Amino acid sequence: MSEGQLIYSAIGSSSQRVDIREKVDGSLKYFTDMKMDGMLYGVVFRSTVTHARIRSMDVTKAISMPGIRAVLTSRDIKGMNAYGVIVPDAPVLAYDKVRFYGEPLALIAGDTLEQAEAAKDGIKVDYEPLPVIRNIDEALKNDAPLIHNNGNIARSMKVERGDLARGFKDSYLVLDRDYRTHMQKHMFLETEAGLGYLDEKGVINIFVSGQGAHSYKGQITRALEIPPDKLRIVNYPEGGAFGGKDDVTIQILLTLLVMKTKKPVKLVLTREESGAGGYHRHASLIHLKTGVSKDGRFMANKAHILLDTGAYVSFGPSVLDTAMEVINGKYRIPNISVEGTLVYTNNGFSSAFRGFGAPQGNFAIENMVDELAYELKMDPIDFRLLNLLQEGEINSFGNPERDTMGAHVALTEAKGSRLWKISKKGSLPWIKVGLGVSFGVKGVGYGPVKDVSYAAVEVIPSGLVKAFFSNADYGQGINTGHLQIVAQKLGIPFENLRTVNADTAECPDTGSSDASRSTFTGGNALINACDQLIEVMKPEAARMMKVQPTEISYADGKFTFKEGSEVSIFDIASFMAKEGKGTKFIGSFEMPRVAKPIEGMIEAPRFSNAYGVLLSLVEVNELTGLVKAKAFDFYADIGKVINPLLALSQCESGLIQGLGYAITEELTYDVDGKPLNTNYTTYIVPSTTDIPSIDVRFVDAVEKYGPYGAKGVGEIPIVPVASSLTNAVHDAIGMRFRELPLSPPRVSSRMQQNKGISVLA
Amino acid sequence: MKISVNVNGRNVDADVEPRKLLVDFIRDDLHLTGTHVGCDTSSCGACTVLLDGVAVKSCTMFAVQANNRNITTIEGLSKGDELHRLQSAFIEEGGLQCGYCTPGMIMTSAWLLSNNAAPTEEEIRNGISGNLCRCTGYDSIIRSIQKASSDRRGGRK
Repeated sequence: MSEGQLIYSAIGSSSQRVDIREKVDGSLKYFTDMKMDGMLYGVVFRSTVTHARIRSMDVTKAISMPGIRAVLTSRDIKGMNAYGVIVPDAPVLAYDKVRFYGEPLALIAGDTLEQAEAAKDGIKVDYEPLPVIRNIDEALKNDAPLIHNNGNIARSMKVERGDLARGFKDSYLVLDRDYRTHMQKHMFLETEAGLGYLDEKGVINIFVSGQGAHSYKGQITRALEIPPDKLRIVNYPEGGAFGGKDDVTIQILLTLLVMKTKKPVKLVLTREESGAGGYHRHASLIHLKTGVSKDGRFMANKAHILLDTGAYVSFGPSVLDTAMEVINGKYRIPNISVEGTLVYTNNGFSSAFRGFGAPQGNFAIENMVDELAYELKMDPIDFRLLNLLQEGEINSFGNPERDTMGAHVALTEAKGSRLWKISKKGSLPWIKVGLGVSFGVKGVGYGPVKDVSYAAVEVIPSGLVKAFFSNADYGQGINTGHLQIVAQKLGIPFENLRTVNADTAECPDTGSSDASRSTFTGGNALINACDQLIEVMKPEAARMMKVQPTEISYADGKFTFKEGSEVSIFDIASFMAKEGKGTKFIGSFEMPRVAKPIEGMIEAPRFSNAYGVLLSLVEVNELTGLVKAKAFDFYADIGKVINPLLALSQCESGLIQGLGYAITEELTYDVDGKPLNTNYTTYIVPSTTDIPSIDVRFVDAVEKYGPYGAKGVGEIPIVPVASSLTNAVHDAIGMRFRELPLSPPRVSSRMQQNKGISVLA
Repeated sequence: MKISVNVNGRNVDADVEPRKLLVDFIRDDLHLTGTHVGCDTSSCGACTVLLDGVAVKSCTMFAVQANNRNITTIEGLSKGDELHRLQSAFIEEGGLQCGYCTPGMIMTSAWLLSNNAAPTEEEIRNGISGNLCRCTGYDSIIRSIQKASSDRRGGRK
């Protein structure tokens, strides 16, 4: 080991974000803020129908309109004109068919934004309308129209273990339930945006929203037939992502505009375009049948999870796998059958969203768990603890469980929450108070898919160490967390460190900022890069000091022979540079995988998991149906906490996105498949007055394979929120809600039905 | 139309189209891009600036309506290298994630504190309820504003 003497001084400290000064003084240039001399404005011409065959498209009038430099259609694309991170099934520009409202059909570049917008009127499309598929049930009807030639089922998976029939037969109590969840929009404050230009070397530079620069590069070069060395992607800084900028959004469109016009082009989606054309969280329908013994042990669990992937697949298969992964919780269930079906509809385009299917699966299983515990008259936490897998036990997917200790601790600590002591007497007779529990699991990384990350460190003789990694910092603070890891490893003060983030020209491929993986994979790759730095510099230092390499040791940025005889890595870098040797070191890390993968599954089961227990205190207004969250107590195992302040911020962030998901947020489509609420006026995200008091505790846990013991924190907070709230509502008013969101109309109408009052649905 | 405005202490004369939004004037003509746009519907507050000391959403005003008035944007809040106490407090409390909403959030908070030097938590929540943040969950922002207000009262926490 070559640790610095500052053991755990960088790790575990709340270092300020490296870019915080520029964020508070307004000087940071986001993609929407960028401009260049002579730049054109790009706009996207989108379908105004939902499902139709394209008979013809005429752009001749648009081309001749004032200020118009280019009007591009599928005919201008040389490559495969398709994208999609897993299956390239989405056309960059549609040509034979449109499958959702707002699908891109053409691009316009104009001297001004106004001229480019006006030219949309010069494009005429002749559509042959097709019936619109609005939900999972319609898509699976025998006579349903096909959205793709290969049918409306994009993926089917089934995992079985044990003897399900026997498990149910031996059960004391079996519940059979259906759960439905809805579509959620990311609603990042900065919409998908970018600026691209062609440089003097013939390289197309694309500064654009995104989470995985190298991933886009691959997709763009494939879709447009551009040599990889003629394309550079930069994804930092940007105004939020949450998974909604994970797969390709505007990256290919912007590249095509620059390629064809050979001018700088700026492309920024309007809020409404982002709403209709951007991604959202999959709606789900989950059939769940679960059996328990009289003493509260799981006997069998049968699940069928159906997800609405919208018009194209994108991350759908991974999201489905993740929902399937969490449907058994982390419980000891000897007999299981988990089926997954990914369904095409005309509901826009579903993709990655913080939690990646785990919130949907969690909603079903944790509602079920709460109901089972209630029926068995068992304490909800004791029931979970009784069934929680111990390390070494074989889990539902056939692998030995390896890291549930933190989950045991989190559940046990939650028993001591302040919220158990709070009075459940409402402030008014019609205000009912309830407390709910949920236990969430979110795997870290990509599961059984081989995932090797690369990152680099470079020693600059003037006294800086630069860290290079391509997983984008879109606000979660990975620039800061990664530098803390480098600071720890090299024993270099934070102020001597810099990051170069999400730039394909300089950063090796660290993979994308998603799947709660950045800290784990990027952090470890940086540690490996630092190891290489030390290994290569050691003999150089020995040469400089005229001693044997075995006689010197590394600590705190320098190699020491004996007291007073030392040489810093900056002096060594200077020495090496004179001999023409490079001082940039690329490290790598391969994410560990489970011993027994499941055939066909690409995203699960995962090797490492983050856990979260959420207690929610709610007030339900019986007159209005308003559910108000009053307090959240969140106990999380995210492994060793690299930066407590940033980790807290991620938890508060995920909990509140979960609150919105559970109560106010719901993307809806009209009967013709047109999205109804795509801006902040109609799609209601939580504001300051909706926020409960939040208490976050990190349990003391260490992931053996994580960088300094860390796992990942990005997604786990959102996972248990909705189920915790529905369980709290049950505690308050005795009614189970198996469908989201818990909006006032839904809650009040159910309460009135319960009282025998008929209401118009 | 010709307008004359004072922006961050500097007099600016400009010729603008009557329909030009104040936010576009600030961002495109004055190149002050710290004022952001998150929507066009005055819902998100990322474009908040001070007009004669009062917080306004600059996407919901025309530039000509600012004629003969004083505009303060995030760039004008600090004095040279010296940050406004709200900006310092947002740094100390980590009151942001992506930072896109931050300038608007700080401008609204500046107006809030100018009206109420020591707001309660509830007054802060109500005061900034017209500014949306999708990243933080708001608590770190509330802590930042509390920090700034207690700093004003002599550094009390």
